[in-house]
Amino acid sequence: MVMDVTNWDEDEYRNTILHERGFQYRTIFRAIFAPSSNPNPSSDIVVSASSDGSVATYSLSTILSSQEIRNGISSAKQVLAAQPNCFLQAHEGPAYDVKFYGDDADALLLSCGDDGRIRGWKWKELEDFMTNRQKQGSHVKPTIDLINPQHRGPWYAMSPISENNAMAVDHQGGSIFAAAGDSCAYNWDVETSKIKMVFKGHSDYLHCIVFCKGINQIITGSEDGTARIWDCRSGKCTQVISPKRDENLKELSSVSCIALDASESWLAYGSGQNLFVWNLLASDQISRICIPTTCQDVVFDDNNILAVGASPMLSRMDMDGKILSQIRCAPESAFSVSLDQSGVIAVAGYGGLIDVISQFGSHLCTFQPTSL
Amino acid sequence: MDAKMEDPVAEVSTSEYTVAPSMAAKMVEKSPYAMLKESKLSVEEIVAKMLSLKKDDNSNPKLRELVTQMLLHFVNLRQANRKILIEEDRVKAETELAKAPVDSTTLQLHNLMYEKSHYLKAIKACKDFKSKYPDIQLVTEAEFLSQAPNEFKGTSISNETAHNVMLKRLNYELYQRKELCKFREKLELKKKSLLETIAIRKKFLSSLPSHLKALKKASLPAQNQFGILHTKKQKQLHAAELLPPALYIIYSQFMAQKEAFGENIELEIIGSLKDAQTFVRRQASKDNGISSLQESSRVDDDVVDEEDDSQRRRKRPKKVAGKENVETSGIYLAHPLRIILNVHDDEVSESDPKPAKLVTLKFEYLFKLNVVCVGVEGSDQGPDNSILCNLFPDDKGLELPQQSAKLLLGDGAEFDESRTTRPYKWAQHLAGIDFLPEVSPSLSNNEATKFETGKDTIMSGLSLYRQQNRVQTVVQRVRSRKKAQLALAEQLDSLTNLTWPSLTCQSVPWASHEHLCFLHKWLLVGSSHNLGLSLPSVDLEQQCHDSLDDDVAGRAGTSKEEVEVGIVKEDGELPSLIPEAVVTDDKSNNHASGAKHSAKRMTPIPKSIGLPIKTVRNPSFGRYEEDIDLMLDSESELDDSTKFEMENECVNPEDNSWVDYGVKEYDLVMTRRRDVQEGNVDLEAKVRISMEYPTRPPLFKLSLCSQSPGVKSSSIEHPVWYNELRAMEAEVNLHIIKMLPPDQENYILSHQVHCLAMFFDFYLHEASQPSLGSKCNSVIDIGLCNPVSGGLNARSFRGRDRRKMLSWKDMECTSGYPF
Repeated sequence: MVMDVTNWDEDEYRNTILHERGFQYRTIFRAIFAPSSNPNPSSDIVVSASSDGSVATYSLSTILSSQEIRNGISSAKQVLAAQPNCFLQAHEGPAYDVKFYGDDADALLLSCGDDGRIRGWKWKELEDFMTNRQKQGSHVKPTIDLINPQHRGPWYAMSPISENNAMAVDHQGGSIFAAAGDSCAYNWDVETSKIKMVFKGHSDYLHCIVFCKGINQIITGSEDGTARIWDCRSGKCTQVISPKRDENLKELSSVSCIALDASESWLAYGSGQNLFVWNLLASDQISRICIPTTCQDVVFDDNNILAVGASPMLSRMDMDGKILSQIRCAPESAFSVSLDQSGVIAVAGYGGLIDVISQFGSHLCTFQPTSL
Repeated sequence: MDAKMEDPVAEVSTSEYTVAPSMAAKMVEKSPYAMLKESKLSVEEIVAKMLSLKKDDNSNPKLRELVTQMLLHFVNLRQANRKILIEEDRVKAETELAKAPVDSTTLQLHNLMYEKSHYLKAIKACKDFKSKYPDIQLVTEAEFLSQAPNEFKGTSISNETAHNVMLKRLNYELYQRKELCKFREKLELKKKSLLETIAIRKKFLSSLPSHLKALKKASLPAQNQFGILHTKKQKQLHAAELLPPALYIIYSQFMAQKEAFGENIELEIIGSLKDAQTFVRRQASKDNGISSLQESSRVDDDVVDEEDDSQRRRKRPKKVAGKENVETSGIYLAHPLRIILNVHDDEVSESDPKPAKLVTLKFEYLFKLNVVCVGVEGSDQGPDNSILCNLFPDDKGLELPQQSAKLLLGDGAEFDESRTTRPYKWAQHLAGIDFLPEVSPSLSNNEATKFETGKDTIMSGLSLYRQQNRVQTVVQRVRSRKKAQLALAEQLDSLTNLTWPSLTCQSVPWASHEHLCFLHKWLLVGSSHNLGLSLPSVDLEQQCHDSLDDDVAGRAGTSKEEVEVGIVKEDGELPSLIPEAVVTDDKSNNHASGAKHSAKRMTPIPKSIGLPIKTVRNPSFGRYEEDIDLMLDSESELDDSTKFEMENECVNPEDNSWVDYGVKEYDLVMTRRRDVQEGNVDLEAKVRISMEYPTRPPLFKLSLCSQSPGVKSSSIEHPVWYNELRAMEAEVNLHIIKMLPPDQENYILSHQVHCLAMFFDFYLHEASQPSLGSKCNSVIDIGLCNPVSGGLNARSFRGRDRRKMLSWKDMECTSGYPF
């Protein structure tokens, strides 16, 4: 907006500046690829959850083509400003996680956030909005809207609603598992929108949660420094995984991220500056990988582990912890790394930046979402 | 005749003997000629006889006789011949005698002829003689006759010859002319006397203005007393008439604003009026020939009026003009008149009814470029630090607003940076020179802002001008900018002295927070235009000054450094010619005693002098971050174009270079003392303060250094801290600004620093004593001896980024919730 003395509005200008600055200080907590109906080419839509509570979708092809129109040649180091295809003001506080529930026509886009809610939209409806080029999707009603329960304190005090830090889904069982801020994990029934099961046992809030389909278990990681395996039928904790204590580890770092491989026999979780690889079948820690920064997200890529942390670096390691490659990525501190089935990687984090890296390790594009 | 005569002679001689002597005798008495003739005839006869004789008989005795006769005849012939010759001689002598009188008579005749022709010539010359005054204008004869007195006419003029009449007329003419000459002399005399009187009166008149002046001057105190200021106003109004149209609009609009709304501003026109008049005249003569003569004469009259007070004021403008004439070359020629605008504080304090002067602006007009330039009058800062810079977005004053001016200045040339006044866009808008933006409004997604070009649209633009409240906007902006700068300077001062800037606002938690850390360093490390270059001497001085302060401040804590402090202080007082010596001295001091007082604070000089600022932080990515900033800004400008899904991410880094123009970067270090084992912790912040402060709040970039004992300060970024630093940045740069009450706007920097310090304290506090163990509060109601059921989890972290929670209670923050 060009403003000068002829049309001066100081408040508006100030707001514009703060608004601009807001983009820089936003955090994208999660960026995932939407499942695409045809696997080739790779999925085009990236869904992000950011600290301003928004869930937005971006079309990579649009961003890339507009970039090419502008510049002819795309340079990987350039940060693009991208407008969302579809923008949902999903949560009051930050939105921490987005997940797809199912991948067919009835798929739901789930998001959870700081306000303790889990909301789900019909992906098809959102896609319709995208194709119709209506960006404001907030009037699309969420089909499910779950809210964490409050705990009772003395004298009828109610605790604040705790946040949901992560979600896992069991599409077959019709369940959503939420890692909540009140040290509990909840199992929500999608059909009835009721809590089926509460997993209590952690002593501090939960950071992450994954679902093991094969054995119908969930694994949670908590601020208290442990990961726990829970049985979904009984709701009992079957195992507490805590890293083998080294003498120089003074305290337990929180388990900030957790990942399962495709065979559901390997578990990787990040705790502080360490990444632990655990074999579920043997129930034993296989390796401990020291990484230079705190680990903030981890994901399996076949036999490799991709990890990001509080540095602008994406590390690819094998199971033994040998670092295969390190790719510099845009966010100074990354909170999310996710994979497409074709191997395209999306890294998101501070600065409101999403970096899309091709399966070959080159930057496809880096963009900074803007709101409308 | 001779031949004739000889012939017969020869014949005679040949036939001499035929001539009869009788015949000869007879011939004597006759005239020689007749004798000659006779003889001849006789000879011929004889010869004829002789011939006939000869034919008959040669030897005839008669022949002899005949020969004798012949001879006789020959003698006669000779005698006749002699007689003829004698006669001839005689006749010749006679002729000679007769010739002499003839000659003399002829001579006489010639003389007479010559004489006659001479006389004829003389007569002709006389006849041809012309008068010296060939055409004396005389009164006509009729007039002469009717008017001339009798004494000239004579008695009976009718009888006179034409010549005499002429003479009389001439006489009359002479008389008349003499009379006229006399009359002229008389008139001359009269004229002289009149001139004298005129001179006297003129003298009186010319002395009159000075009398009036004196009166005026005498009335000045009275005018001041009554606050009428008629004289000054008059003068200014007159000067205003000479202003070029652009400046005139500025002047009149400011005047109108002042008079209509009581705006606290003052206007003055300075510069030589004379120059302005010549300028006007030149301009006019260029425009429409002589038509302005009248005006200029009017103008001239006024000059006299203004003379003495331009005299009075000459000192200042002369100096300015002289200086500028040297440096201005052609294109930067400014109109001789300038407008001085004093902006006063709009808040009147009770103690002083007269509002404080905030800032003085100077407007000048470069007529070649048709731009209005503005500068701050009497500011000691360079033009780069001018508070007018980026008064409105994207207006650093280096780019000429009009395309035509740009062409004049040459391709891609920017406005001369060294000039103190600059062609800001808002100044053009104020002057009514509206211009087209470089790119079309539809492209830059401007919401239907109408721009006009050209002088002729000024009048129609004026209503728009008033609607837009341009003057008011500018005055308010200048005022708030100046106030912000004053407030900023105050805050910077206290930061430079390493004291916490004071906060007047108590409604924010950091205001009452007792800081556990202290300010260690506050240093200007560069401004946008010399980033990356070697630091100029001013900065060196600044640094020396800082280091001095530093050491002075350090003295309180460390008495051991007393001696060194003394040295440095001495050095600091040396003239600035040898700043390097000071610095190296300082450096060596530090190196020498580095190990010794590593546990104490380190003076930061060596680092910041040796290296360009950029390299302090991760160099490659530092650049990258900047790019991100640029892109952000550009993109948000384009924010509102929602026509297409295609985003216009064309990010031309130059597009938004204006944002960084005049940015000053400071280095802030806060230090928290801890135990000897743990070492001190430094929080280093790079603070970028833009010209647009406080509208564009300062930007902090944080990094953390921990000093462990024995090791020199290292800027290892603790990974655990990484997110927290980013979160602090976000909080300080963005979120607290939204919390601040509007009246605290100018003190944003202080708030940010205080807030940062508070966060720093909290984070360190948390880090030093981690998890407090139990977080579940169960409550027992003692009176009933029954445990009240239920409990609440107390937490201090939340969310995936493990944000620390601070609770704000009684103007004081504590960490965790509920506590």
